[in-house]
Amino acid sequence: MSLKKLLKPFKLISIARRSGVVTVLYPYQKSLITTEFRGKISIDATKCMGCGACVNACPPNALTLSRRDDTIILNYFIGRCIFCGRCAEVCPVGAITVTHEFELASTSTRDLNESLVHRIERCSGCGGGLGATSRMLQYVILHSPASENYVHLCPDCRKKKLIQSLAMKMGARTEDYEG
Amino acid sequence: MSVEEILDIIREKLGGIAEDIRYVESAGIIVRVKPVNLREASHIVHDVLDAYFRTMMAVDERPINNTFAAYYVYGLDDKGINIIIETHADPYTPVLPSIADIVPAADWYELEAWDLLGIRFKDRKLYRFVLPDDWPEGLYPLRKDVDYTARPSPRITYKPPLQGPRLPVGPYHPALHEPEYFELFVEGERVVDVEYNGFHVHRGIEKLAESPRFTYQKVPFLAERICGICGFVHSVAYTLSVENAAKIEVPERAQYIRSIVLEVERLHSHLLWLGVACHLLGYDAGFMHSWRIREKVMVLAELLTGSRKTYGINLVGGVRKDINMDKITAIRNTLAWLRSEFAKLADLVTSVPQIVRRARGTGVLPRDEARKLSVVGPVARASGLDRDVRRDYPYCAYKDVSFRVPVYTEGDNLARLMVRVEEIFESMDIIDQLLDKLPGGSIMAEKIEVPEGLIGIGNVEAPRGEDIHVVITGRGRPYRWRVRAPTYQNIPALKVMLRDTPLADAPLTIASIDPCFSCTDRIVVIDLKTGKKEKLQTVSIPGGCGCEI
Repeated sequence: MSLKKLLKPFKLISIARRSGVVTVLYPYQKSLITTEFRGKISIDATKCMGCGACVNACPPNALTLSRRDDTIILNYFIGRCIFCGRCAEVCPVGAITVTHEFELASTSTRDLNESLVHRIERCSGCGGGLGATSRMLQYVILHSPASENYVHLCPDCRKKKLIQSLAMKMGARTEDYEG
Repeated sequence: MSVEEILDIIREKLGGIAEDIRYVESAGIIVRVKPVNLREASHIVHDVLDAYFRTMMAVDERPINNTFAAYYVYGLDDKGINIIIETHADPYTPVLPSIADIVPAADWYELEAWDLLGIRFKDRKLYRFVLPDDWPEGLYPLRKDVDYTARPSPRITYKPPLQGPRLPVGPYHPALHEPEYFELFVEGERVVDVEYNGFHVHRGIEKLAESPRFTYQKVPFLAERICGICGFVHSVAYTLSVENAAKIEVPERAQYIRSIVLEVERLHSHLLWLGVACHLLGYDAGFMHSWRIREKVMVLAELLTGSRKTYGINLVGGVRKDINMDKITAIRNTLAWLRSEFAKLADLVTSVPQIVRRARGTGVLPRDEARKLSVVGPVARASGLDRDVRRDYPYCAYKDVSFRVPVYTEGDNLARLMVRVEEIFESMDIIDQLLDKLPGGSIMAEKIEVPEGLIGIGNVEAPRGEDIHVVITGRGRPYRWRVRAPTYQNIPALKVMLRDTPLADAPLTIASIDPCFSCTDRIVVIDLKTGKKEKLQTVSIPGGCGCEI
């Protein structure tokens, strides 16, 4: 065996010297995440309308929607989140943004839950629950202005109003309803 | 050779026993046979036509046609086409003939079908394989009438205690990274036989994907979590199979981005393995430097996808993250740095005597044994089998690039090491070519509709070998999704590699298939010579990854 071949393993010394120390002193030095990093999501409470598009897209069910009395609650449980950012992609109003935050460890699961409570609108006709939040109604009106006269009514009242207006057109008198 | 010509050959060879021969573009040539003719058909396809056994999918098709179906997928590698033998078993007492003696690679698949679907295979020993010991008898979880939320109460099993003094070592818990269990029977310092006992962390992912909780677009994220190291491979294989089945046209640019990310994943996986191999051989300096280089690849992966691992950029129909000029520059810079750094490291590692002497001539897998077991990936290529899915069954953008497939004939640990070292260089070349040709356009298909009842196959060359998914489409989600990770095909080969070798080589040999399993493996050593006395010992094999479906 030639001497050169025999000495080859010693090249390690030059490799090690040139590369030096590469370990970053995290957390004392700032961590190495790039601009593209996907961390926890943040939900903008002033934009969210509680439609649940994110809930349908969320692969691990970290986002859930529940209804309690007069409210719709959107809950984000970081413990289940896989930081894929699908929710941000499907949100129709752009309320969800993906942040760079990743230091999420906590001793209490309460810290890992974030809830957003939306109040449910009432039917302007009968006063019953509509099942939609006021922002949802605004969103519908914005995208289909023709619905403005109907969105504040529940399906039953909508039916009544339709029949009423049809009947009016055909010349019927519906004095009962006009007050 | 065109499909028509292959069809003619198949009609000639199998025409007598086949009930139906048809060509489905998304899967291959499907030959339907009666169960009585299954053995003959398997023999013809496997031995006469010399096709590799790729996977087997057993399906509960009772809601569709009142049978249990089994699809045996064989591949004619040199022609890039699959031959699928389809057979249907009785819905009440499903029985099929066993083909494990004709196709040794089918052994595990039959055990799995028995465990999960209750299909009995004649003339072979069937035993509990995938399911845990305390799972009740007669409840087959992949059957459609078993709800995915079913949580049966465990049955009490009695296992006769082992004879002789025992020394239990180490925790044995599913929460650890995939516990795996090898029993090495030794005579003095030589291994005489190997028993494998796995599937301790079977997660029922295939069943979960069929559940109402999932949709076609949610499964890629689930698929990605099959494996912690080559996750993107699984998500691409899944999306390819659905796209093939539904004939969704994926934009070129998305295909290129997938290929680039796949190659980045291969770089990190091979560098990880190389480091682990050095560590196992006591050359920790090599381990440290290999991982130092790998770190740059991880940062690059994060820049391209948003995450160091489990990239989460794949959907049916395309990808979610585009590549811009800044990223292209970053890839080129990283590759240039990687090339020079890795060339030095590769030169060093392959010249260190403690690595070369330990790896050369150990853990030999002869070519004929490798062929019999249809092994895949670097394990196959180190044993003289020239097979690589990227070249043989082109997918994504691999048809547009040229690359060399390194093949060695020695079949030892050194050959497997060399295959991986050369593949790292090839991967870097592939990424360069892809960047040169990167087309413009959108990254998401416009129309994504998946009709019901179609079959599709997606295959991807994972760092560990061929990963193949078979999907039968259903309403809103897959009706059946069959995953076959590369290690599933390679572990049976360990029996051959370990037999009659010194015990000291066992850890390296087990690691040399780059197994998708435990960080801390348990190995039981049973000494046959000194009577019934057994020694239990732990051997630490770091750097596995979780590929149990």
